[in-house]
Amino acid sequence: MEKLRLIIAREYMTIVGRKSFIVMTLLIPIIMMLCMALPAAIAYFNNTASEAETVAVIDESGRYGAAIADNDLFHFVPLRADTVPNAHEFYKKANGQLAAVVVIPADVDSTAAVTVYSENTINVSLKERISRQLSDTLTRARVASYGVPGLQRMIDESSVSVDLKSVKWDDAGNENETSAEVALAVGLILAFLTYMFVLLYGAMIMNGVIEEKTNRIVEVIVSSCKPFQLMMGKIIGVALVGLTQLAIWVVLMTIVGAIASTVFAPAALSAAGSMEGVQAAMEASDNFDMAGLVQMVMSVNYVPILVSFVLYFIGGYLLYASLFAGFGSAVDQASDASQATTPIIMIMVVALYAGMACIENPNGPMAVWCSMIPFTSPVVMMVRLPYDVPLWQLALSIVLLYATAAGCVWVAARIYRTGILLYGKKHSFKEILRWIKG
Amino acid sequence: MSNLFIEVKDVVKQYDGHVALNHVDLNVPEGCIYGLLGPNGAGKTSLIRIINMITRQDSGEVLMNGRPMKLDDIAHIGYLPEERGLYKKMKVGEQIVYLARLKGMGKLDARNTMREWLARFDLTEWENKKVEALSKGMAQKVQFIATVIHRPRLLIFDEPFSGFDPVNAEQLKMEILRLRDEGATILFSTHNMESVEAVCEQISLINHSQVVLQGYVDAIKQQHKQNIIAVELQGNKAIAANEALYSLLPPPAVGKATHIQLKTGVDVRDAIAWLNDHYALAGFHEVLPSMHEIFIETVKTA
Repeated sequence: MEKLRLIIAREYMTIVGRKSFIVMTLLIPIIMMLCMALPAAIAYFNNTASEAETVAVIDESGRYGAAIADNDLFHFVPLRADTVPNAHEFYKKANGQLAAVVVIPADVDSTAAVTVYSENTINVSLKERISRQLSDTLTRARVASYGVPGLQRMIDESSVSVDLKSVKWDDAGNENETSAEVALAVGLILAFLTYMFVLLYGAMIMNGVIEEKTNRIVEVIVSSCKPFQLMMGKIIGVALVGLTQLAIWVVLMTIVGAIASTVFAPAALSAAGSMEGVQAAMEASDNFDMAGLVQMVMSVNYVPILVSFVLYFIGGYLLYASLFAGFGSAVDQASDASQATTPIIMIMVVALYAGMACIENPNGPMAVWCSMIPFTSPVVMMVRLPYDVPLWQLALSIVLLYATAAGCVWVAARIYRTGILLYGKKHSFKEILRWIKG
Repeated sequence: MSNLFIEVKDVVKQYDGHVALNHVDLNVPEGCIYGLLGPNGAGKTSLIRIINMITRQDSGEVLMNGRPMKLDDIAHIGYLPEERGLYKKMKVGEQIVYLARLKGMGKLDARNTMREWLARFDLTEWENKKVEALSKGMAQKVQFIATVIHRPRLLIFDEPFSGFDPVNAEQLKMEILRLRDEGATILFSTHNMESVEAVCEQISLINHSQVVLQGYVDAIKQQHKQNIIAVELQGNKAIAANEALYSLLPPPAVGKATHIQLKTGVDVRDAIAWLNDHYALAGFHEVLPSMHEIFIETVKTA
């Protein structure tokens, strides 16, 4: 045990002491925030950076030329059809001043067909603008054509949008407003966290194994301890590194959240202790009903979710980390490693996609199966968790996961103890099977 | 005779159908410098790994001090593998202490001993530098320190002198002899025969997974001597052949002595007496084969 402790401590200190660890720990949250902010920023710059483009509207119908209103992006100029005998020539003569030409045919009332021409590719927002505005106008025109007085008003008033609240009872019948979106976000965040963690730290383990092997230090180490101790020391040490990183992020988020809360909505946020709460609240801070949102965020029952998350996280990590260690010991150089890990990464990607697919139907057969199979369950179950998974399924899935993880550790240990001492040639799958049996 | 420290008894090891060690016996007396010789691929590393308990033999046993080896016994072994390696990103001092503690040394003891050894090798100022900053020779010394720091009773060196320049190799040799004098038993694996003659008392020659020659270096040389005598004459006269007593050998590369090989059954004294009668002798001595020659001869004929 003393040796294991030493190995864990060394692994931990070496990685945490690296500059790259400190940089990555600080950089990843920033990058993630940038990623979230990027779409908004792009949209913002798209909408404001350029001047509005001019679009000619040739109105053969004589009624709808002015139907399309300008917006920030486009300025529409209605023209009477008889002033423009040839649309293409007209476009040419404009010398690039025109972005496009819209032709509203004379029979548009019956066909509802309109064409937009340009020598450039016509962008989506223009098409949307034209079709939405004309659809509205044409609909109104058609309604009016029935000659029923007040029909338009009736239609307007009879259009209903249902405001669906979902309320979850607890045992005592107390009502808690829940939000599927919040549950979904929590599940996805946890699934993604598991996925990232396993891949990131799995790769770290593998690189460590390969480094020791190419360094040849491994021979000295295993003359002092069992290969199994070295492997487990590495796996546990790296796990602790990951948890440290996670803890740092949680603290950072909480600090950022606390600052945000004092700036934006002190009362509402003081209730939100959790990371998700802070995050969701931050995003929504100025245009939502803060208290309501926070209540929804809090209504998800976190304790069982977090407990299961930790269990799945550890099990899944153990399973994949041991595979990475085993594969790492069987290859000679980092360059061969990517080939060896392709199957592992593919399984992880499948798990992530399965998890996303399960959002649609978190208790459907696919979700249930994928949350049972140990290789996908750590990711998929995270998505299902907020939707109250039956206890027997949880138990079965966890038992399966840990049994498989134990099996993987056993197999990896057998590959490892042989692989680390063999240099200079590639090992066939058959050979590796022999190591496992031996 | 001193008692045996390591006994390898009838050890067999197979890898994937090929036999790495075929019924190997080895007896290493306590306090001895023992040479394990053999061409590459003969099975030396396999044997060393078994003694180190890195791998396990298929059959046979290894005794330490008369008892079958247990896992705890590896704390008494210091192993310097042929392929050297250290954690490049770790600091010299930390690394030595880490390896020492893995062998079971206390933290404080490890640190103090590490400083003593660094001082002995003039590496004190490098204690807090990373290994990657060291020259190759310095890294080798660091590795040597890591091998011996926990005061092992058995030291296993696999090609210890490879990668050392002559000055450092000499320093290393002196350290090894000093450790032997302090009571350590040393197992030396090499195919560098000169170093064997310089330090080893006993050897085992392994070829094709089997021990083909074993014993005291002196005795082996006597066994393999071919009755060759180097004769030096006064002046520049040449020795003529003598059909009855000896034949002339091609002159050696260095020195001006003539090498003669006695015919079978001829007594040295008769040949010398005859030579003394016919030539003015300046000196003569028996030429024993070098370990290198014995090695090559044995490996060829085996």
